[in-house]
Amino acid sequence: MPIGGTSPLVRPAGSVRADGATVKQPRRRQDARRGRTERLAPYVLVAPAVLIIVILRLWPLVLGVNFSFTGDGELNGTPVGLSNYLALAGDPLFRTALRNVGLLVLLLPVAVAIPGMLATFIYLRVPGHRVYRSVYFFPAVLSPVIVGAIFNLMLGYDGPLNAVLGAIGAGPVDWLGDPGIAMFTVVGVHIWATFGMALVVFLAGFSTLDASLLDAARVDGASLRQTIWHVIIPSLTRTIQFVFVTTMIGMLTSMFGLLFVMTSGGPEGATYLPEYYIWHQQGQMNQPALASAASTVLFVVMLVVGLLQITLLRRAGRQD
Amino acid sequence: MVVALAVAGCGSAARTAAPSGGSQQKQQKLVVWDWKSGEPAATAYIEKAKADFAKRHPGVTVEFVAQPFDQYYTLLGTAIQAGKGPDVMLFNGGGQIRDRVGALLPLDQYVAEDKSRLAGWDAFSKDGKIYAAPVTLQGHPIYYNKTLYEKAGLDPANPPKTWNEFVSGCAAIKKATGATCFALGNKEGFGIQFFLSGLGSGVLTPQEYDDWIAGKRDWTSPHVKRIFELWKETGDKGLNNDGANSTAMFTDIFRVFETGKAAHIIGLMSDIGHWKDFGEFLPPDKIGVMRAPVVTSGATPSLPYDGGIGYAVAKWTKEPALAADLVRSLTSTDALTAFYAKAGAIASDTTIDLSQAGPAAVSIASEIKSGKPALHVALSSKTLDLMGRLSQQLLSGSTTVDKAVQQLAATDRAG
Repeated sequence: MPIGGTSPLVRPAGSVRADGATVKQPRRRQDARRGRTERLAPYVLVAPAVLIIVILRLWPLVLGVNFSFTGDGELNGTPVGLSNYLALAGDPLFRTALRNVGLLVLLLPVAVAIPGMLATFIYLRVPGHRVYRSVYFFPAVLSPVIVGAIFNLMLGYDGPLNAVLGAIGAGPVDWLGDPGIAMFTVVGVHIWATFGMALVVFLAGFSTLDASLLDAARVDGASLRQTIWHVIIPSLTRTIQFVFVTTMIGMLTSMFGLLFVMTSGGPEGATYLPEYYIWHQQGQMNQPALASAASTVLFVVMLVVGLLQITLLRRAGRQD
Repeated sequence: MVVALAVAGCGSAARTAAPSGGSQQKQQKLVVWDWKSGEPAATAYIEKAKADFAKRHPGVTVEFVAQPFDQYYTLLGTAIQAGKGPDVMLFNGGGQIRDRVGALLPLDQYVAEDKSRLAGWDAFSKDGKIYAAPVTLQGHPIYYNKTLYEKAGLDPANPPKTWNEFVSGCAAIKKATGATCFALGNKEGFGIQFFLSGLGSGVLTPQEYDDWIAGKRDWTSPHVKRIFELWKETGDKGLNNDGANSTAMFTDIFRVFETGKAAHIIGLMSDIGHWKDFGEFLPPDKIGVMRAPVVTSGATPSLPYDGGIGYAVAKWTKEPALAADLVRSLTSTDALTAFYAKAGAIASDTTIDLSQAGPAAVSIASEIKSGKPALHVALSSKTLDLMGRLSQQLLSGSTTVDKAVQQLAATDRAG
């Protein structure tokens, strides 16, 4: 809704009667003043929030983008045009990091399906469902550093998991040292550590589910698979979409801790994500301007992903 | 918009020499950043240095801020960008300080008196100027487990001199004890750095070695290539512990050596992973130090070492002379003696008597005079970073020695 002076809702009552001959001049001036105040009021009320956003969010963002067009080291502070971006495009490590973002998007359905399935079982009251509810949520309260340290021990080459594999005759797997496996290992641990939150959202979604539909399915003799596919999933469309969006954000923005502890970006740079790349360039390689350029690219990627998600949600909302 | 921002980039990011927290009033204060002062083993060292400084400058407060090491250079980089931060700061020798000399004060005029007493200045110098005073010496001796040697019927007092002897000795140890030849942790890509420096003097000729340090690095030399071939061979022939690419250097690999699961480790002289550190698990008389086995005839093995850590002074400090004096206190003989005694670090002060330390320390000390700078310290951080990743590829077999050396040469040339 426009908040301009033309809006009939904010037009002062006095102005309607302004052409009436009986209204005196001073009264008219007072009314006009009041009208102006009322017109300005929304702007004044919104101003603090806008200022905070501009000063603490937008301005640093602009500074960061600005900084990405300057040089590092001896060129510190001098403008170098697009050369940082060209350096990024030519850096195989950054390309790996971006490819890994694509991999995360591909693995997203798995990260959503796992809590979805488990929440379904809890809702359908498998034996011990109360215990599972708290057990599944438990990892969500652990810090990524602790999770990483635990899994480093579990997945070590001489660790317990490989010992179990050895006992059943399967060869040891270098979970964190094989470049073809390491990224999947870290993503797997991330999903383990975070699906509890998505599970809670699913359970909340289930609470809005119409129980009579399930009863009807049961009376009609639907199997478990048919119940999930034809009753539960369609009823939970909005919840599933919400979990998709939040899980995607979580995967793109909060895997740094796990990567740092579990693989340090290795082996062979196979587990780099843009975030880790930015940290590495800024802190370890002393190239803050290049890191700024990488941040800008990550920002654009996130913006595109975010806008796509909003579009999808809107479209889905219209179907409802 | 992009063009506008690019143009606006001119200046706004340029550093301004803003003053630090120091004031013009009588009560002066110096702020020191490091990652050592919080460690219990360094307490006595810091106390001695503080006392020494307080004696000469009673009115000055010194505040030590211990930062976590894994975040240290990130925090320091931010401080440098802002042109604000500590007056005095700790650095590792080599690339870490050379990349940041733009933010540091040359110390030549202040430390002239200490030049002959302390060793390891080169690691803190660039273009003929000194930017920090060395506290420790850091090097890469090859330690070996004498107990494993005895069990395998080898003479612990007479470690192998050539590569062939070394490999056959390892085979004997493996057969008798099941221990691997090398304890290797290459998760962060540090393993190759230790390997290059630890074994390099047995592979390169003395001339090649000196040229490498002087910046005239011939990456096409068959001897340089040989080092990387050896790296690959040790992996392929099972001389390393399993899963080297997923084993962390500083938390895990020293334990492998200490618990007798590997016969050798290319360790450190100071900080962690050195003779005193191992002494907690292995009796000091069972830790040996050997020279690099000779691979190329004509190579003269020597102890690879440089300045380890050292304190530098920020360009923006208000009291350069005072800050430099604090650095001198931090490298005084008294303070460094305390550091060596408590932390086991091989301190930079050559006048300290090491005879009371274990045989390993005595053996390292005897090599300091003939030692040379470590090969990897001469490389830029960029080359080291790439070398870390390529070394992992060599171990996993996803690249060849030729391709790796070519890429390293290209990065090294680009500086």
